[in-house]
Amino acid sequence: MEATNQNILVVGGGMSGVTAALEAAEAGYNVILVEKRPYLGGKVTQFYHYFPKLCPPNCGLEINFKRMKQNPRIRFFTMAEPVKISGKEGDYDVTIKISPRYVTEKCTCCGKCEEVCETEIDNPFDFGLSKIKAIYLPHEFAFPMRYVMDPSIVGTEEAKKCQQACPYGAIDLDMKEQVFDIKAGAIIWAAGWEPYEANKIEYYGFGEYKNLITNVMMERLAAPNGPTDGKILRPSDNKEVKKIAFVQCAGSRDENHLPYCSGVCCLASLKQALYVREKNPESEVTIFYIDIRALDRYEDFFTKVKQDEKINFIRSKIATITEEENTGDLIVEGEDTHKGEQIRMKFDMVVLATGLVPNTINIEAPDVPKDKFGFILRDDVVKGIYGAGCVRRPTDVATSVQDATAAAIKAIQSISRR
Amino acid sequence: MISWNNNALRDVLKEVDYAEEIYKCIQCGMCAGSCPLRHHMDYPPRKIFALLRTGNIDLVLNSKSIFLCTSCYSCIVRCPRGIHVMDIMHGLAHYAIKMGKISRKNTATFGQEFWKQIYKRGRVDEKDLSRRYFFSDGIVQGIKNALSMADMGIIMLLHGRMKLLPEKPIKGIKQLRIMLDKAEQESRR
Repeated sequence: MEATNQNILVVGGGMSGVTAALEAAEAGYNVILVEKRPYLGGKVTQFYHYFPKLCPPNCGLEINFKRMKQNPRIRFFTMAEPVKISGKEGDYDVTIKISPRYVTEKCTCCGKCEEVCETEIDNPFDFGLSKIKAIYLPHEFAFPMRYVMDPSIVGTEEAKKCQQACPYGAIDLDMKEQVFDIKAGAIIWAAGWEPYEANKIEYYGFGEYKNLITNVMMERLAAPNGPTDGKILRPSDNKEVKKIAFVQCAGSRDENHLPYCSGVCCLASLKQALYVREKNPESEVTIFYIDIRALDRYEDFFTKVKQDEKINFIRSKIATITEEENTGDLIVEGEDTHKGEQIRMKFDMVVLATGLVPNTINIEAPDVPKDKFGFILRDDVVKGIYGAGCVRRPTDVATSVQDATAAAIKAIQSISRR
Repeated sequence: MISWNNNALRDVLKEVDYAEEIYKCIQCGMCAGSCPLRHHMDYPPRKIFALLRTGNIDLVLNSKSIFLCTSCYSCIVRCPRGIHVMDIMHGLAHYAIKMGKISRKNTATFGQEFWKQIYKRGRVDEKDLSRRYFFSDGIVQGIKNALSMADMGIIMLLHGRMKLLPEKPIKGIKQLRIMLDKAEQESRR
């Protein structure tokens, strides 16, 4: 009988990855978790509220991080990603690359380095809607709670200034990229998703018009720790948004872009419509849709949102968006397919409901069955590497958590059956 | 009048290229939304498809929309289901003419005169084409039509886009006609 390595490697420290790691560790297995970003929590850290309960993601994350701190079976690495996987079920060799953070465990988050730093970079946490110092704390609830230095200032006087400002000697400018190998018996791929690149839909003009944003950017506008402190202000002139449109299926259900339905964008827009209505009672929301896909128990949420008279639903796939020259307002055109009329409407801001693209296995690795869009299939023929969460199908947080738990049991079975 | 005619639908599916794609349509409205002539259509393309699907062939063949297409390709490029909207509209226009239903006579006249010019000379004689087109509704209307376009005619003359003398046939016009005849035979098969 071959020896089976008893470690489980989890790739991705978002909701799915953290859940899978915790479930496996709490069942008594050793877990190694790698996360590309400088903090755990993934995309949900950037969200204002979850649907349908409209509660913030922080509390759920805090509970998970607490479980993680208490569990010695989990080891995790941030700013880390796998670069190569070889071997077979029970005996994988994985090469991990860790990018330098330039800040060590000594960091107390006192913020002295940030005070002296002058260079600013686009804030990745706000999808570029705001600027941040080149040495920064990714966000208030970051776990691990530690600063990061952007590589762009390393080697400059600025970096040395930050180093001198640190009272704890926590800045190490000589930190190098590390590459090392680990062994694992089973792998859970929970690398999550990226929003579809809206600039590929050339007839909408994303990137060209300032007041045309995507649904993930809308989350940041609504979040209290976002670029506008939670006020929904449009990017061009910081005017409070009164008339707003949501364009559903922006690139989804479209053979020229993403042929599949991402399943969550309708609900996200319904939720975001409530953000706008709650923050500004005078606001008017229009949702342009092909079909509202609020399935199962989520239909109650749709029914609730529909009751608001200031939220209009128009069945239309928007064909063109143009910008009014002086005001920065956006003009939306398409066909109202219920009335059979051509429409042309003006809005302060337009939100494109873009779909989810899976961060599929794109490194040298044993063959794992995937569908034509890159979603990982759970196939009982190939064992040892299991997808979890949005890499398996575009889905919401609750389903990702369930799916990650399922992946954890699959991984446990994989290493214990021999 | 709404009428159900299943046999007629079968004929449309047989005669019109890509017509089977009407079953892929999800009625999103992108085709008309992208169409530069959307405000002139009685039925947007998605409605044409829905009418076909429900067997209302007469409404479709009598519709102005099928004669309006200028082949700009916007609908084909943007259709989320990859339907050949433009080809289907042209196919329906051809089929309508074949069935003796010409909802926009001037469009059909222009197209037919254009084709005759190509067959005769291998090129278009702008003044001959416009004369035939303008006067297809009678002499009085013809003079009105011609006068309304006089400005453009002068500009075209000045830029050498239209000549005062009749255009000569291209070299090898006979070979071109052989090719066109062959193409027409092929398309009928």
